[in-house]
Amino acid sequence: MKNSLWIFAVLAITFLGDRAIGYVMQQQAADSQFRYARLYDNRAEADILLVGNSRGLIFYQPYIEEVTQSETFNVSYNGMPIDLANVLVQDYFDLYPAPKKMVVDVTMCDRLNDQLMSDFKMYAPYSEKLSKLLKDKSDTAYNGSQFSHLFRYNSELYQRNLFFQNKTDEDWLLDRVISDGMVEGSADLKDYTIDFQPTQKTKQVKTSFEYVTNQLVDMVTDSPTKGTDVETNPEYVINQLVEMVKYAQAKGTEVELVINPYFPAFANKIVNIQDLKRTVEAKTGLPVNDYSLAVKETAGFGDYQHLNKAGARTFIDKMLADNVLK
Amino acid sequence: MIFNSIPFFIFIGIFLPLYFALRGKARLWLCLIASYFFYGWWDYRFLSLIVISTALDYLVGLQLGKTEEATARKRLMLLSMAVNLGFLAFFKYFNFFADSFADVLVSVGFEPSWHTLNIILPVGISFYTFQSMSYTIDVWKKEIPVEKNFLRFATFISFFPQLVAGPIVRASEFLPQFQSDRKFDWNRIISGSGQMLWGFFKKVAVADSLAPFVDQCFAAPDTFSSMHLFIGVLFYSFQIYCDFSGYSDIAIGLARMMGFDFPENFRTPYFSQDFSEFWKRWHITLSSWLGDYLYIPLGGNRNGSFGSIFFIGLFSVFAIGVTGWMWLIPAFLLIYAGGYYYLRQGKKQKAKTFTMMNLMVTMLLGGLWHGSSYVFILWGFLHGAYLIFQRILGPGFGKLLDSLHTPSWLRMGINVAIVFSLTSLAWVFFRSPDFETAMSVLSGIANLETFTFGSVIHKFVVLKGVFVVGILLMVEASDLKFNYQEVSLRKPIFRVVTYTLLLLLIAFMGTFDSDAFIYFQF
Repeated sequence: MKNSLWIFAVLAITFLGDRAIGYVMQQQAADSQFRYARLYDNRAEADILLVGNSRGLIFYQPYIEEVTQSETFNVSYNGMPIDLANVLVQDYFDLYPAPKKMVVDVTMCDRLNDQLMSDFKMYAPYSEKLSKLLKDKSDTAYNGSQFSHLFRYNSELYQRNLFFQNKTDEDWLLDRVISDGMVEGSADLKDYTIDFQPTQKTKQVKTSFEYVTNQLVDMVTDSPTKGTDVETNPEYVINQLVEMVKYAQAKGTEVELVINPYFPAFANKIVNIQDLKRTVEAKTGLPVNDYSLAVKETAGFGDYQHLNKAGARTFIDKMLADNVLK
Repeated sequence: MIFNSIPFFIFIGIFLPLYFALRGKARLWLCLIASYFFYGWWDYRFLSLIVISTALDYLVGLQLGKTEEATARKRLMLLSMAVNLGFLAFFKYFNFFADSFADVLVSVGFEPSWHTLNIILPVGISFYTFQSMSYTIDVWKKEIPVEKNFLRFATFISFFPQLVAGPIVRASEFLPQFQSDRKFDWNRIISGSGQMLWGFFKKVAVADSLAPFVDQCFAAPDTFSSMHLFIGVLFYSFQIYCDFSGYSDIAIGLARMMGFDFPENFRTPYFSQDFSEFWKRWHITLSSWLGDYLYIPLGGNRNGSFGSIFFIGLFSVFAIGVTGWMWLIPAFLLIYAGGYYYLRQGKKQKAKTFTMMNLMVTMLLGGLWHGSSYVFILWGFLHGAYLIFQRILGPGFGKLLDSLHTPSWLRMGINVAIVFSLTSLAWVFFRSPDFETAMSVLSGIANLETFTFGSVIHKFVVLKGVFVVGILLMVEASDLKFNYQEVSLRKPIFRVVTYTLLLLLIAFMGTFDSDAFIYFQF
């Protein structure tokens, strides 16, 4: 092979391989039983839409479906930030008939998570809103996924997608009992604050070309453009929740806001849970059902912030009794 | 500027064509300016340190070339040592020694009151200082000729591929390569780019993928199960290896493309069967530097020196003073008494005792080279102890395996497992911010009640980690018998396939948001 030819061969085969493997992965990912694969593949129509982060996974779907005789779809994921949830919920409403109810755990308003955002790059081709959010929040992930299709599947989310290829994820719940050490340690817990006003950071970068140009500018100037905040909005998180609620209401869905249970000793250490409740109620105009202390049994918890299956059943029974799920 | 960043690719995309287009002095100027730009990208103010070190050692070298008088030559060499080590001492160790001295004073009843300074550690200072010092020492020992061309000398000190994290290239190996223009050579481009790709795979696909899991373990060890911490420690062993050797591979590959040969820095160290072998395979350029410029001057495996005895005494005092563990006093006294008794048993025993003492001093200082913290010294101490115990117990263990008729493959497996386990144990101290964290990690692992895979959080991260480490080990194990570089030079199809696979693996498994290489801090 001629001296320089192999370089072109490597680049060409890499490009073709990237596109070919990316295509195969896209097809495989779309067939998965994982929730987001179903969401974007028109297989997620439901009567009740459930929204939260890892604490939202305790909306234990098999039991809810059994007691309500309704179809459910859970958007929740570990560390899910509200802005990402907002986009996923809006996509749901754009793709399906409006569900009767949407239940949202408002304690998910405690963080922003650009890392998880970048994991969702594999679904960006299916959603303009998701693509725009990715572009705003994670330029590396956005530009990388434009450049390499294989890179779209470089994430934990894709691994889960594979894991749930042929089995349902509806009973995905951390099913263990809180350790004795944690129970004993709960006596010494420090005060905990839910940070429901984390600052939003938006980068100025818009296109791959601009990104590279900015990097060049950084190289020769003393005023770096990378990571420059163009907007810092302490109410961003709550506004995202409000937007999500209004979007659902506009489609005719009844929205229920809840605070999911915490381990009692931990719940008592949260200093601003009532502030969060008041703020959300004032901004959304909806009551927040506070279940933070609804489950008392130690055996119902997996850790301080998550119920196990037994606890989830108790919690769901209480929501049912309060007509939150009906 | 870090290798795994877009600015670096832009930088190298501009630099390489210019480099091959220019010749002679112009090319040297380009290398020097590019190197200063590369370093100044991090903080241009600290370029002054490199410039001062360079100018001083250049002038000292010139003067050494002019005088034959032994005392004057020694003075010149000591001047260079004082300034270079002075920079290193101030920027890297000032606060550490000030705090340590205060701790010792407190332990003997004094109440010192002084403030430490907020000193920024210049990136790569330990690397270029050692490189610069090696030149002066070698000229002083008349082992290499004086470099009279300032441009060549300055480029040697600041050469950007290995400026901030090695390999430490000696003047005797590197300066002669500047004597003539390095020619463009396709074979060098092939093997250099291959090594760079492998380095990038190690860094972004292995090291940076394992990093978040490891960081979590060491940030709050009390909150994780035994199995979680155990996996965290194993992952760290591979993270630091891939982070550092990945950097070396990129540096060596880039230099090779430019026409320069750098010494090998890592040679599958986790396949070592004893600790002496480990140090011939791990950070080879530092090990050989410490061997030639510290271990041998201390007496090597023949003699002792006042320096060794002084340093071991100093270490003992600091260890007692800082920990406040009074039981260390009789323990140290017992060790010294044992050493003294053994020393007097004959010539052979004397040489053995001195060897162990010099090994320990070299490893303690090797630990201190990494950073101004007790955990690094403890890491060095553990490796010193491993080398000593290997000398004491190794022959007996070998005979035991012989008597059990252990097949060679099993013997190799046992030895590799022992060396890897003990090395990983030492890494716990190296990684921990303090002694307490290290002990929390180790006691957490010892709590075998939670040594179950079910107790591990982030299993998908573990799965990915196991996958990338598996690829690494597979390639390294096969590389022991199969020379990838040589085959990729001979067989273009093989080259195209392996390079393509690496690029695709990097895209699929890489982590692209990490900040820097671990060894930048040293």
